[in-house]
Amino acid sequence: MNRKTILQTLALIAAGAILALVANAFAPRERKLAMAGSYPNAMKVPARETTTMALIPPTRVAPVPVVPTTTTAPVTATTETQPTATAAITTVGLNPAAKTPAAPEKTTAVPVPQPPPPTHPSADSFLPHPDKPYVEITFADVNALHAKNVLFLDARRTSVYEQGHIAGARPYSVWESDIEDKVRKLFDERSDPSAQALPIVIYCSGGDCEDSHMLAQKLWGIQFNNIYVYKDGFPDWQQHGAPVHTGANP
Amino acid sequence: MKGLLAHPWLTIRVQIALGAIFIIAALPKIADPPSFAHMIYNYRLVPSPLINISALVMPWVELLAGLALILGVWKAAARTLVAIMLAVFIVAISINLSRDNAIDCGCFNVADRGKTHEQRIFDMKVDVFRDLGMLLLAGQLWYAGKREEDEAP
Repeated sequence: MNRKTILQTLALIAAGAILALVANAFAPRERKLAMAGSYPNAMKVPARETTTMALIPPTRVAPVPVVPTTTTAPVTATTETQPTATAAITTVGLNPAAKTPAAPEKTTAVPVPQPPPPTHPSADSFLPHPDKPYVEITFADVNALHAKNVLFLDARRTSVYEQGHIAGARPYSVWESDIEDKVRKLFDERSDPSAQALPIVIYCSGGDCEDSHMLAQKLWGIQFNNIYVYKDGFPDWQQHGAPVHTGANP
Repeated sequence: MKGLLAHPWLTIRVQIALGAIFIIAALPKIADPPSFAHMIYNYRLVPSPLINISALVMPWVELLAGLALILGVWKAAARTLVAIMLAVFIVAISINLSRDNAIDCGCFNVADRGKTHEQRIFDMKVDVFRDLGMLLLAGQLWYAGKREEDEAP
């Protein structure tokens, strides 16, 4: 390969990079990418079989037990691999969240026969667990938490969220550029340690979808210590005929 | 036989075919970079800081290389880029096949199509053979270009 070809090859790559940056700068919020993402398991091949508990080994040391009424912040109970609150919420955050045009909204309930509801877990089942990023739960627990008006976060893409989501859930796609802004906003809303110990349920599409786990890790990194991942995700919620909301708003 | 392989009639058609394939492959990735970033992440081969930048830049390079092939400008650079990208795709898919990590290749479609593990593994094998075929086409372009250079006064 001669010098001219090498220069032309580099010129094509450079032109591609410039076009990519320009296109990304003008892309709508849901199609924009942050320059550097934060994906903790980027090089780790997932196991085929999912487990019922947290998949990610905890990296915190000497976890400080926190209960909802406690005001002790577990900020100091971190290692070097565990991002601090400040670090974790300032890693990207390039794009202030733009207001999404409101789509027509309606609430629907899929008319699927529902089996008798199992015994709902008591509130004691949802105590904080600062030693692990998340606990995977199934429909019965999710339904119980939904009935308690717990915060639900939808980790799927916004376009998918708008087609239907768990009633009350907020869109928190880990793949969109405004995720750090949303996480920062949530941290501001719940900056008090007692608020950070309140349960949060995160879901995506079930199956091998990992977006909810990634979001859970991100929130755990900024001291949210009572996070639950709805293992079977939105398809399971629909199958149970539970309340579904469409549109851009929760 | 060597003359047939490097014949302009064949070369121009291979250029257009490869160029069109790369343009078609680039468009859905350009339209939805977050989904393509997700696809790259699923390969589990790219370090976290490079995933987004790869998802942004690679489709545009594909598009420019495809356009250059079709328009017949900077042909040597375009076929070099195409061959490098194809080789990278083949290696990346093969590594994941070897470790039984079933993924959607994200070659022409960046949407999650909800396939089973077995369907994905089968598709990955097909993808490797398809990319090897395209690499052969890129090899024809390289051979024709070399002959052209050798015969130039």
